[in-house]
Amino acid sequence: MTWMVRSLLLWALLVVGCKHAEPVVATPTPALAACDARQAEISKEADQLAQPWSIEQHLAKNFPDLKVSWLMPEGLYQKYVVQTAAKNFGRCDDTACYLFAAPSAVIQEAVNKSMTGGTHAPDVLGQALGLPAKNFEGPLRMMTLDLNASGTCARLPVDSDPGVWKCQTPEDKDCFKFGGYTSGGVPEVMVINAPVAQTTVTEIP
Amino acid sequence: MSQEQVLYQSPLLYRVLREEDGALSIEVVVGGIAMHTVRVRLTVQEAEAYAREGSAFTDRLAREIMAQPSFGGRAR
Repeated sequence: MTWMVRSLLLWALLVVGCKHAEPVVATPTPALAACDARQAEISKEADQLAQPWSIEQHLAKNFPDLKVSWLMPEGLYQKYVVQTAAKNFGRCDDTACYLFAAPSAVIQEAVNKSMTGGTHAPDVLGQALGLPAKNFEGPLRMMTLDLNASGTCARLPVDSDPGVWKCQTPEDKDCFKFGGYTSGGVPEVMVINAPVAQTTVTEIP
Repeated sequence: MSQEQVLYQSPLLYRVLREEDGALSIEVVVGGIAMHTVRVRLTVQEAEAYAREGSAFTDRLAREIMAQPSFGGRAR
């Protein structure tokens, strides 16, 4: 009888032990899994430079719903997106199209805060996003993309990305500092090949 | 009505323009999460380089302007 109890106990321990020994398979964030080999390599190098920070932590902390947004003046949107029938947003070269984007909730909150009497106040919007008011004069368009639903790649921006204007002094605004935050302290990511067809475009009068 | 003529539009987000007075200029989209444009008039040497090299030259020039949007005080 004692032998049977011991055997049962041993069997139970083995089962529990085996369950604990099951390998944990880490599922990469879809936005990272969507990157091609070139962008995955750049992302890996950026993560090494940002240690102990990483794009995985950055997305989890600042982009929990994986929705990103960015702003363009109406005229710029018409000239560079509508009239060219662009397939992707951003600056395109022979490798990809590169676009800076912030958490949608942050941009939306800044826009809401700036709305007075049916139009936005450029100075309020600029202050909320830590950027010069002149960047927000006139009607704007706010673009929103769900990285997860669209299967779009995102990584930390790096110095060599098209459009990077490196800050020269700590006081510089509207320039690039490595680490995933704008010079105004807004979280940002580099979105690769953001598809126009899957982006929601909202008018901001 | 503007008589401005678009000579070249790049997927890198810039345009080469011939302005009303015949001068060449480059309009470049700068900025990150909030984009805007700056415009720089080409010097005679830059216009010659554009005539010689085409978009290879303006690609380089546009990247320089993106990296420093005031472009030494030349941007408007």
